[in-house]
Amino acid sequence: MSIAGDISSSAPRFHLSKDVEQLLYRLLAAGLLCVALSVMTDAFLTTNNILNVLRQASLLFFLAAGLTLVILTGGLDLSVGANIGLSACLAATVIKVTGSPVLGTLAGLGAGCAVGICNGLMVAKLRIPSFIATYGMLWVLHGITYYYMAGETIHGFPPGFRQIGSGYFLGIPIPVYLMIGFLLAGTIFAQRTVWGQQIYAIGANPVAARLTGIPVDRRLILVYAFSGAMAGVASIVFLARLNSAEGDIGEAMTLPAIAAVLIGGASLFGGVGSVFGTFVGALILTLVLNGMNLLAVNASWQPLVTGVIVVFAVWLDMRGRRRT
Amino acid sequence: MSMSKLKRAVLALPVTLLASAALADGETIAVFTKNQTNPYFQTVRVGTEAAAKAMGAKVVHYIPTKPDSIPEQLSQIEDVIVKKPSAIVFVPVDYKAMVPGVEQINDAGIPVVNVTDRSAGGKFLAFVGADDYSLGLETGRFMLKAMGGKGNVVILEGVKGSLTSIDRVRGFNDAIKEFKDVKLLASQPGNYQRLQGLQVMENLMQSHPQIDGVLAANDAMAIGAIEALDGANRKARVIGINGTKEAVDAIKAGKLLASGDYNGFVQGCIGTMVAIRALRGQPIVGEVVLKPTVVNAANYQPYDVPLESRSCPSWADAAAMSTKTN
Amino acid sequence: MSDQTLSSPAPRLPAVPGVAVALGLLAALFSVASPGFLSAGNLSNILVQSVILLLLALPMTLIIMTEGLDLSMGAVLTLASLVLALIVVSTKSLALGLAGALGVGLAFGLVNGWLVSVLSIPPFVATLGTLGAAQGLALIVSDGQSVVGIPRFVRQVYSGEVAGLPMPILIGAGFYALFHVLLYHTRFGTYVCALGGNRDALTLAGVKWRRLLVAVYMLGGAMAGVAALLMTARMNAGHPTAAIGMEFDAIAAVALGGTSFEKGKGWIFGTLLGVITVGVLRNGLNLMAVPSSVQVACIGALVIFALFLDGMRSHKS
Repeated sequence: MSIAGDISSSAPRFHLSKDVEQLLYRLLAAGLLCVALSVMTDAFLTTNNILNVLRQASLLFFLAAGLTLVILTGGLDLSVGANIGLSACLAATVIKVTGSPVLGTLAGLGAGCAVGICNGLMVAKLRIPSFIATYGMLWVLHGITYYYMAGETIHGFPPGFRQIGSGYFLGIPIPVYLMIGFLLAGTIFAQRTVWGQQIYAIGANPVAARLTGIPVDRRLILVYAFSGAMAGVASIVFLARLNSAEGDIGEAMTLPAIAAVLIGGASLFGGVGSVFGTFVGALILTLVLNGMNLLAVNASWQPLVTGVIVVFAVWLDMRGRRRT
Repeated sequence: MSMSKLKRAVLALPVTLLASAALADGETIAVFTKNQTNPYFQTVRVGTEAAAKAMGAKVVHYIPTKPDSIPEQLSQIEDVIVKKPSAIVFVPVDYKAMVPGVEQINDAGIPVVNVTDRSAGGKFLAFVGADDYSLGLETGRFMLKAMGGKGNVVILEGVKGSLTSIDRVRGFNDAIKEFKDVKLLASQPGNYQRLQGLQVMENLMQSHPQIDGVLAANDAMAIGAIEALDGANRKARVIGINGTKEAVDAIKAGKLLASGDYNGFVQGCIGTMVAIRALRGQPIVGEVVLKPTVVNAANYQPYDVPLESRSCPSWADAAAMSTKTN
Repeated sequence: MSDQTLSSPAPRLPAVPGVAVALGLLAALFSVASPGFLSAGNLSNILVQSVILLLLALPMTLIIMTEGLDLSMGAVLTLASLVLALIVVSTKSLALGLAGALGVGLAFGLVNGWLVSVLSIPPFVATLGTLGAAQGLALIVSDGQSVVGIPRFVRQVYSGEVAGLPMPILIGAGFYALFHVLLYHTRFGTYVCALGGNRDALTLAGVKWRRLLVAVYMLGGAMAGVAALLMTARMNAGHPTAAIGMEFDAIAAVALGGTSFEKGKGWIFGTLLGVITVGVLRNGLNLMAVPSSVQVACIGALVIFALFLDGMRSHKS
């Protein structure tokens, strides 16, 4: 399992018919969920609710998109949720102190990215397994954030800034545009650029990647930096959406984000997965929660239902891929 | 303790540097709270510090690194018993599962005051707290009255399985039952999280075109729900619980109708005062159950003061609030 | 990989593992900084507190060696603890309660193993799903409330002593010995090592590795059941969120102990050291009355530091 396949499996992949087929299989679970929900409740298949689901999925997607690249290299970033907490609190402070949303946004993105670079250095240069390096980072970030916030919240931001999270353009929420933008950019980066292909190659076979002259360390640092920066993006949208920052703001997001990537067909051993798959994964998780709220499922049953659907979705996706 | 005297002498310097809290003048009060993320417990902690400062004692805080972790608080109790503080002010993370921990404190002979959640067992100098049920009931009633006793409401529950959520939600439900023309549309979990409160509210608005009131089991979810309502250009009355700074600001801005509060600051104050007075052989009270306050546009002023500049009630005032004396 | 033969794994003993350095440094620091740290009572205190985590970390070591992961352990422990509490409250029989807890553990282990080995669902996703299922069931059977009314004798399992030694320490030592023998002195242990990165060899040797993998996950479930007994005895209650998230502590302890996430490299003594190191750190920081937020950061720094030392060593070699 660890040295899976040869390097040719990660060569540029443009078999349109095959790609479209895969894409359809990937959408299968999400499609089934949508059909089931539209049958069960009238409230599901309305423009408002679809936009609502997309906006909610976008928060998860920002985080999961960055994680996808990390997981493609065979790594994992457990610190993304804690990173949101720190970046959001820092951005909130800067906005409050300077009154400038632009500076605040830059601070949030910068902090997220800096944390990512630290993760990348630990993984690439110090050779610490990513699971542990980022798990340690998770605790360090929580510690700093809790210490700094001391149980308080920072709230109330300028209306212009808040548009990022709660505004609309042509009737569609701004975060949805951001999501589509990152989805396109991420897909093009991963599938069509040399760096993207190198990332696939590193995940498929790190030893071979090194031998073929790919600068593995630099690419690893890049993907962790990217993951951190996406946590920064998520923190800004969170802040704008919630109008408030608190230490544990992203805490509940890490596992769902990882789950979204894996539901989207990525493998934790690296080399397999796509940003589009992750988008579908984020959509499925959001649909499950949306559906349970619409149907007013008893609170006690919700974790159980989510767990079963997650496993089922992955199983369906894997069956689909085996057929193609 | 089997350390030789020589060793102790050698060790004295770093000990004084690192463990100054333990060797300071006056009593050392170990304060246990549930987590470092909920603003409510910060108000309790600031209350204990204010009281201790006024009485010349020291406070050391013990907070689980994982919010509300039962095993971790049990371990912290075991660790603190080794340190033998003068007294303990104790908020159990769970009122039933922490009983063995309280009994360990009792066995070690350390006096302990129970604050906020009433422990189901163990011996305490006193209980200082409030009850979440009447908090939910009073705050719920306030909103339902403001709605004219009719309309559609939803409940945002806290963490399933936590005592605070169970009791507050029970209070909400009983308040709703008092008003025949109020219809409960849904009761869904937001896990005390702001984002989940917001997203659950967004989802509920999809299936319910008319929501007139939102009863949230804490302020973070209430504010999340307000953001969701604003985003959809819909109006509903919203209440939360805890009386946090943010909730007060939202009340001032006319966005939040009310926030139920039982004043963690005062609870922290009185709990610590009881502990120190008992150590000094002064008379104490056996129980103080604070009346819930429904903070709203008419009475928010005392809550609009930074925590640090609030001061504890005098002992006479505290004793006057007692519901049971020793 | 095919040139590797199925030899019994020699206990992996690096020169000075990072976890041992970290443990030594912490012990030295705390014994200087905090009076009472080195007292017999406190040392026994640390060991007793570490046992529940150890019971999860031992099977987690094996699961990680198979290139797997079990995220459901904390939730399964919680559910098993509730089932145990409910049975003991209604029947007054600890034996029946323990049987129920073990049954819950084994059932979840079976499902995990089946999802991972037969359906080939990645362990992370499979056990994330069963985590949700166990957590949901815990809320459902308990109705979100603590289960109390457990007879006091159950507490003896956690607070009792045999021959002057606390029960939990004896239980922990017993299971540690069991896992040591299982991993290093049985055919099962040899196969477990081969499950990580050498499955082809197992197939060639005619071993039904899928069944073996199911057995490894069932072992994890059963140990969650045993840990549930101690947890219930410790709280004298069952609680629907008692051990949520404990699987990550266990995984961290295993990794801290030098077990690698690739190719079946496990070190069971390292896991023991990892668990104790975390226990020493938390205890020492509490004794020094270090603020909770700083404690949180220290735990993260420790994990990174120990693995950093390991990384340095493997760099040199």
